[in-house]
Amino acid sequence: MGPVELLHMSVFSQSFSPCGRFLAAGNNYGEIAVFSLSAALSPDASEGSQKPILNFTAHDGPVFTLLSTDTHLLSAGNGEIRAWSWAELIKKVSPINSRNTSTQVLTSLEIPEINAMIINPKDNSLVVGGGDNNIHIMDMETGIFKSVLKGHTDYIHCLCFKEREGEILSGGEDGAVRIWDSRTNRPVHCIEVFRYEVKQIRMRMPQFGKWISCLATDSDWMLCGGGPSLSLWHLRSMSPTSVFPLPGCQREAVFHQDLIMSVGEGPYVSHCLHGGTVKAQIPCTPSSLNTLALNLKNTEHRVMTVGGSSHQIDVFTNFSYRAFSLSF
Amino acid sequence: MSSDAVKKRKPKVIRNETGTPETKRGRAEGDQSVEIEERRTQCSVHFITLKKLNRLAHMRLKKGRDQTHEVNTHIVSSSGEFYNAFPSLEMSWKWTFLESQHEEIELVSEEEFFQEAPAEISRPHVTRDDQHQLTLARLDWELEQRKRLAEQYKMSLARKEKIQKAIEQKREYLSSLQPGLQNIMQASLPVQEYLAIPFEHMQKQAEVSRHLPPPLYVLLVQAGAYGQACDKNLSVSISGDVDEAKALSRPPEDSQDDESDSDAEEEQQNTKRRRPTVGVQLDDKRKEMLRRHPLSLCVDLKCKDGSVLHLFFYYLMNLNILTVKTKVSTTTDLSGAVSAGSLLNSESLLNCLYASDHGKETPNPANRYQFDKVGITTFADYVSDLGHPYVWMQKLGGLQFSSDSALTGSALSASHMERTMKLLRGRLQARLALHKQFSSLEHSIIPVSSECQHLFPAKVVSGLMRWTMMSHQEFTELGFVQHVLKAGLVHETDLFFMAVVERGTARLLAAVVMNPRYPEVAPLFSFSLHWKGERSGRTDDNLRAMESEVNVFRSELQGPRPGLQLLTNQIQRLCVCLDVYLETESQVCDGSEGPKEFPREKMCLRTASPIKMNKMQGLQKQP
Repeated sequence: MGPVELLHMSVFSQSFSPCGRFLAAGNNYGEIAVFSLSAALSPDASEGSQKPILNFTAHDGPVFTLLSTDTHLLSAGNGEIRAWSWAELIKKVSPINSRNTSTQVLTSLEIPEINAMIINPKDNSLVVGGGDNNIHIMDMETGIFKSVLKGHTDYIHCLCFKEREGEILSGGEDGAVRIWDSRTNRPVHCIEVFRYEVKQIRMRMPQFGKWISCLATDSDWMLCGGGPSLSLWHLRSMSPTSVFPLPGCQREAVFHQDLIMSVGEGPYVSHCLHGGTVKAQIPCTPSSLNTLALNLKNTEHRVMTVGGSSHQIDVFTNFSYRAFSLSF
Repeated sequence: MSSDAVKKRKPKVIRNETGTPETKRGRAEGDQSVEIEERRTQCSVHFITLKKLNRLAHMRLKKGRDQTHEVNTHIVSSSGEFYNAFPSLEMSWKWTFLESQHEEIELVSEEEFFQEAPAEISRPHVTRDDQHQLTLARLDWELEQRKRLAEQYKMSLARKEKIQKAIEQKREYLSSLQPGLQNIMQASLPVQEYLAIPFEHMQKQAEVSRHLPPPLYVLLVQAGAYGQACDKNLSVSISGDVDEAKALSRPPEDSQDDESDSDAEEEQQNTKRRRPTVGVQLDDKRKEMLRRHPLSLCVDLKCKDGSVLHLFFYYLMNLNILTVKTKVSTTTDLSGAVSAGSLLNSESLLNCLYASDHGKETPNPANRYQFDKVGITTFADYVSDLGHPYVWMQKLGGLQFSSDSALTGSALSASHMERTMKLLRGRLQARLALHKQFSSLEHSIIPVSSECQHLFPAKVVSGLMRWTMMSHQEFTELGFVQHVLKAGLVHETDLFFMAVVERGTARLLAAVVMNPRYPEVAPLFSFSLHWKGERSGRTDDNLRAMESEVNVFRSELQGPRPGLQLLTNQIQRLCVCLDVYLETESQVCDGSEGPKEFPREKMCLRTASPIKMNKMQGLQKQP
């Protein structure tokens, strides 16, 4: 990895290990790097502990999404999903050589790319949103694809799961957020976000388009953003309550306690309140951010990590300022 | 005459006879005159007698002298033989010396005398009793021996004369042969050329190469061997002043004598007039330290298209390093590319042949101390005059200054020769190719060869408007290249260019950093787009994706070996990316702004949403 490649690296996805002590990140060259958070957060951390403990090439193309189950790390890029055993990754065994641990799934499906994956814990299935405008549901135990949810007219950017009702939310390039019932696999609602406005503030930002790139839910509330501004929706009434005046497109947003944190174009993490005000914008290293992840599984290593157009991943121990950076 | 003499003398006589001057006037005139006459005649007679006696005395003296002379010559001749044998003896005329001579003569010992001398000389029956006779006999024997030796001496002299004459004759004969041989050699030159055995040339070269300093000699031998074995287009020759070189290798005694003489002279001069200033002395010392050996090597590397890279290698004697000066000669005219000015510049042509080998400082660490003595701070000042001391050159000459490997001398040179020659040739070809490409780029044409056409779509609308060269200073002042500077990818030895690509109202500025080792190291592009505002790769992810398309995925843009098309292919890819970007960006902005500025010309399956830009590129490549 020469200096030119490092200069042009982008981090697209992150995932924490089940124990919460390790972070896996995927970049645009198809590599996955595993970082040890315990080493990086320990008092005698050095520069070496901010480097990956393991770095391997997982896919030919960029790694767009990473997902952790209890035992495995799932990665997806250009049409393939691969599973890596966390136990092996933690032991710093490069899984490329041991073919038996990585299972090549989904080779029969001809999907140009896979942008989002989530797990439905109720029936232990993997929900995959693909470039063929459909959502595929795969049974994790058998590995067979159970069903396909069709409805979007353009490729799917993001997926989200509502635990209480067992509903899947999907946002796509066509600007629509669709809500599906996971038991019946039928569409329940369809919201075309760009048509709405809140308090005379149009959500639509013409220069960016109408695509939806991020979705998050918290019981009754839903966040969505992308081409249109980031907005908070009340799901029962299916109406937007606030629009966040953030300058760039937002690519990932999460609910955390009573804050909303989102990242997107621009070198900062935005902290917003439910009312629609932007409380703070915390600066960080990459010039624009693609992914944000919160490590809530482990109370010792409760950090927020963000990655984007840089080979460095910023780590926030206190969410108000950047502590240090991990680098590929 | 005599009467005149008499007359002259007369007044004296008169005065003497008469005594006081008072009595002179008292005598009678008559007596006086008769007496005077008598005395006068007496005087004359006396004088004549005096003269006669004088003459007789002279004659007697002369006669006596002649007699002694005669006798002397007689003596000399009779004792001549005796004295010839002992030239160191003083030739004395005194009889007393002659008598004691025989005692000084070293005679052979008595036993030897009796053994060697023949009976008639030794006469033992007489000499054993009589000491005097013995001595006489011994003297006789001595004389006899000396006569014999004299004879021998004469004979050997004569023989020596003869032999010398013979030698002279033969020398003349040989020297008369020389012109004849020269004629034959001249006549055989065409034959040599025909048979491709440059025998005479090699002889001459070998003769001159004896006077080369050791590193140049190693280089000559190794380069010649490599040329003969692997590379027919490499030739080595020696140039320079052979006589000076011979003068340098003269034995040191002569020079020491000269030195002492000149020192003495110098001292005299110093005492007589003011010393030259310290600055001038220092200057002279510096010149002396940086002196070049009078002989130099010229290595010519010919390329297939007829261009030649001339390398002139010099050896700095006191510093013990090699330096090089370069010259490029081409078959075609190279003018017409303004931006290519520094490509073939002899100062920078061989920069960084191996990474970080700038050739500005001397690679010999010992030189530091020498420089301190004469006040030279850095060798870089003299580089333009003396040539560049690259590290690869020292290795080719067998000079090892770092402790990297244990090889020295010829082994070191041989281990580096092939790689260095290949790099040199590659460098020349790369630079010449760039030269041609630049002159085309300056005319706003991107030269894409037929082998590389398949990398790009058929129709590319964005066009190159301008291609100019920049200096390092100008580059660092640009706002959109700071990330490259921070990453440490820019060095002062790099070449900097600016390309302006336009389509409609959109204008893309691309700053290019080119490492001297192009195409081994790919050029690095940084973009700044002026279209509805200003964006750069830092602010716009799509531009960043374009940058990575051009910079990172260069392996597919290299084209056929040796990859000299890299730059032009990168520029073409840049134009293609700009096309896609502009078309899809316009797609995104619908509605009220009127007709789209950039209608869709390409099969774009996806409109641009940021992260997926590179996916789009992937799709572009599939026809």
